[in-house]
Amino acid sequence: MESGSGDGSSAFTATNDDLPMEAELLKRAWRNEKAAPQILQFDADLVQRSRELIKLMEETVEDFRSNGDDPLTVSLYQMDVDRTHFLLRSYLRTRLQKIEKYMFHIQKTPELWNRLSRQEKRFAERCTGDMEQHLQQSVLSKLPSIYHSHLRQSSSSEEDDMVPEPQLNTYVICRSKRYLGAFQLDDSGEDPVTIEADDLYALPYKSIKPLVETGQIDLV
Amino acid sequence: MVFFAFETLKFASGCCLVAFSFRSSIIIGTSEGFKLIGFCHFCLHGFYGPQSDLFAQVIEECNSHILHLGSLIRKSEELKKTEELRKTNNQELDETEKKELRAYSSGALVHHFSLLRNKRCLMAYVYHRAEIIRNLVWTIGRVLPEEIEEKISSAEKDYFKKHAATLQSYMSELDDLDLAVDMVPPKDPYIKVRVLEDIGNVVLSDHSANLARHAIVFLRRTDAELYIAQGSMEEITS
Repeated sequence: MESGSGDGSSAFTATNDDLPMEAELLKRAWRNEKAAPQILQFDADLVQRSRELIKLMEETVEDFRSNGDDPLTVSLYQMDVDRTHFLLRSYLRTRLQKIEKYMFHIQKTPELWNRLSRQEKRFAERCTGDMEQHLQQSVLSKLPSIYHSHLRQSSSSEEDDMVPEPQLNTYVICRSKRYLGAFQLDDSGEDPVTIEADDLYALPYKSIKPLVETGQIDLV
Repeated sequence: MVFFAFETLKFASGCCLVAFSFRSSIIIGTSEGFKLIGFCHFCLHGFYGPQSDLFAQVIEECNSHILHLGSLIRKSEELKKTEELRKTNNQELDETEKKELRAYSSGALVHHFSLLRNKRCLMAYVYHRAEIIRNLVWTIGRVLPEEIEEKISSAEKDYFKKHAATLQSYMSELDDLDLAVDMVPPKDPYIKVRVLEDIGNVVLSDHSANLARHAIVFLRRTDAELYIAQGSMEEITS
């Protein structure tokens, strides 16, 4: 899937101008979600609008087909629908896979938990329940009670020290649509990076996290 | 995939330290847990059967640690009681008793850390396999092929079923939006496929077709993907 996404985005940019606004926004949300190590805020409105758009596009294609329009035109429209459909599916899928991977971390961090949609919350609850039961059954029930937690190594641990977490200091490629000025990456006292419009940067996710979350910078 | 392994080893990373620093002075059992971690790596190349023997051995090792831990704690508590008693009489433990107390408590600590190490190894192993099982849910759907089914434990089969149901219920909440198709970005709405097994007459999204063995047909990508995943069709790329 990873290798495929690269091809996909280049193919999509070719038809940039024709894509309606929603598809463009969906593409942006999808790219951000794909590149960010952490789960981002769920865009319920966008998903709702995209689904309506896809339905509308499908109806249009159906109309064309029944009107006996040029098969090439029909297939081009069909292509457009398929691509938008792929974006939507891939967006939702990427989020679910992140939830699967970091379920315990997301569940115990209110900030991340609140980013999930209603359905995703239910999915995450069931996921953690199943995983917990599986771990209990396979390992934990065979150990003494002070080692029973799936989040802590033993009851004497002071914090949850067995929860896989995303690597936030991983590098991401990002681009800003407008000039953001000098930006201090971390506290190490290094020179701040000047973020120009439309330039590509490879920066640690951790330091640009607030910019991603407020939509000032896009991941690619 | 490399990253995948790295994540899992996070559970186990600490255990090397503990085990090696203690191993130099006291050897307490073999570290079967590490072998389990080794199998995590194998899992990446192919799905190995559950190492149930090795798994049982690690659990066995845990049990003996628990016994030792218990008896050491009891001994050190007895000594502590004696110390309390002596204190009321303004007396102290003698040198050998003090030494014994220290030995008991550090011994208990060693067993405690060994238990933690083994727990991390066991968890990493089970967790890593669970991750592979989740990937299977995404790629091959709700029915496990036989060659995989015989390699996983009954708990894992259970987990597979439950997780597939969880994913299914998420998709039905979204008005049956199937997320398991369209795994790669579409280049063309139709693809050319060769039918490998007799599928018979099926209703596809835009027409119905008779999918006989060896037939070469043009299908909507979303229609064909499921059959390709099940191995009853292959895409012809030229």
